[in-house]
Amino acid sequence: MPGSRWASASSGTVRPDEPADPSVADQGRAAGRLPAYVLRIPAGPYRALNPYTKFVIALSSALVAFGVRGWTGPLSVLALTAVIAVAAGVARSLRRFVLGTVPIVASILVVNAFLYPGATDVLFTIGPFAATGTGVTVALQATLRVVAFALSVAVFSLTTATDDFLADLEHRGTGRRLTFVVGSAIRTIPAMGSRAVEIVEAQRARGLDTEGSIRRRLRGIVPLAGPMVFGSLAEVEERTIALEARAFSAPVRRTVMRVLPDGSGQRAVRWLVGLGSIGAVAASIAGRFPLP
Amino acid sequence: MAWLSRQFSTRVIVLIPIAIAINIVLGYTVQTILKLPIYLDSIGTILVGVLAGPIAGALTGILSNLIWQYAPVIGGGTIGPFAITAGVIGFLAGIWGQLGVYRSRPASGTQLMAFAGIAAVIVVALVVPILGNPAYTNPDIGGYPDWVYTAAVVIAIAAAIAVAAFIYIRRDLAGFWVAIAGVVTGVVAAVISAPISAIAFGGVTGSGTDLLVAAMRQGGSDVLQASLGQGLFSDPIDKTITSFVVFIVLGGLSGRLLARFPLGERLVRNRAA
Repeated sequence: MPGSRWASASSGTVRPDEPADPSVADQGRAAGRLPAYVLRIPAGPYRALNPYTKFVIALSSALVAFGVRGWTGPLSVLALTAVIAVAAGVARSLRRFVLGTVPIVASILVVNAFLYPGATDVLFTIGPFAATGTGVTVALQATLRVVAFALSVAVFSLTTATDDFLADLEHRGTGRRLTFVVGSAIRTIPAMGSRAVEIVEAQRARGLDTEGSIRRRLRGIVPLAGPMVFGSLAEVEERTIALEARAFSAPVRRTVMRVLPDGSGQRAVRWLVGLGSIGAVAASIAGRFPLP
Repeated sequence: MAWLSRQFSTRVIVLIPIAIAINIVLGYTVQTILKLPIYLDSIGTILVGVLAGPIAGALTGILSNLIWQYAPVIGGGTIGPFAITAGVIGFLAGIWGQLGVYRSRPASGTQLMAFAGIAAVIVVALVVPILGNPAYTNPDIGGYPDWVYTAAVVIAIAAAIAVAAFIYIRRDLAGFWVAIAGVVTGVVAAVISAPISAIAFGGVTGSGTDLLVAAMRQGGSDVLQASLGQGLFSDPIDKTITSFVVFIVLGGLSGRLLARFPLGERLVRNRAA
């Protein structure tokens, strides 16, 4: 009976002013009608948490890593991230993200260790450059901050499916336009990447110089950017029509079928972690943070 | 509110994710394939700003950097904190779009010559105060390596010639405004990026421009001054090139397509077809 089906589906909709907690009864009713893959909930330690909880933890970690000066901020974030990564079984995948920070870490270490302004406590000298104790301390702290930040975001990204995160945000009342923009951007990037490879190869076949002098390479910008932008703008028209045909700009909210479990425990964790990190940063800025 | 919702028509909502992908992929391609020491990661942001408006542009910039940081597979860099800079770049682009900066302005004869000349003078004039920045000239700091100064002067002269030639050869006064929009965007971006880089990353960015940071520190600048000096050197160049790339790309698009975007009419006013 189509009528009752729509009625029960729309009763599962949560408006922004209602509590975000889906009731068990709603899920049970929906379970009878939706295919299993829609309702499959991510399992395993940490992964099973609601995406929003993981997001708040990642955001708070970033805040603490950058906001709490000295050793405590970055080190505690690094420790927390390591524990979570091991528990969730993503520690191995983190190696790639650690490698991704190598260029900036190398730069931080060299520039700060040898060229820290005003530092006089020389440790050793190489040629005209002297490494200072102050500089090395600053460099190591900045390195820890960068790695801690990159890894906390990486753990969030590795333990949370993008679609789950976006579905949960929409369920909580985030506008459909914003979730579409983010989801569509993440899906478009790989396609754009393969298009970029094709364009580079096509232009190389036509004599694009990628090895010559800087002037010759500067001339390559428009042959690369042009086709990429023209090609993608041509898609805008088709996608716009496709979306409009599917009631994208309709003034009503869309029903989110995939509702991920959340609970008062997780809500408490979110508030605790969020407020705690803000408090720690405030204390650090005010100079009242007790640890080094 | 009408002003805001006009910026987010369905067409713009479709354009923003594509612009974000262009930012990320093109920025990556230019840095790795052409191996140029510029970022070129704001073409999509400026495109959206110019076509849709300041808020849409700002949103594109902010989301670009956040998604670049987060997205599975390509993420994991350290670009996230610069989302603030990217947002401001997009906002400024929206203002340029509303002012019609990227509109073609055909001209000829004396007017063309005059604007080409004035453009060259202004580019040099804009570089002088940058060189006069305390990061470079504060006597307490004791100066900085000569090659930085020489490089800046050489690039300023080359840029002045390039801009004047662009205006003259294309017979289009828009080149004048496009260059100014690029330089202003670059200076603002540098001023906003410097504290982010200093607080979050010890003053460096992990790219080739860090050589400049090192040179200025060697000359005696402090962390913030060295980052600002590096930014004021790199960003105006980067954003001016980006600005011209966007102008060339917009010039290659049909008026019919452009006019459908919220600010499209400001771009096509002087076009024949």
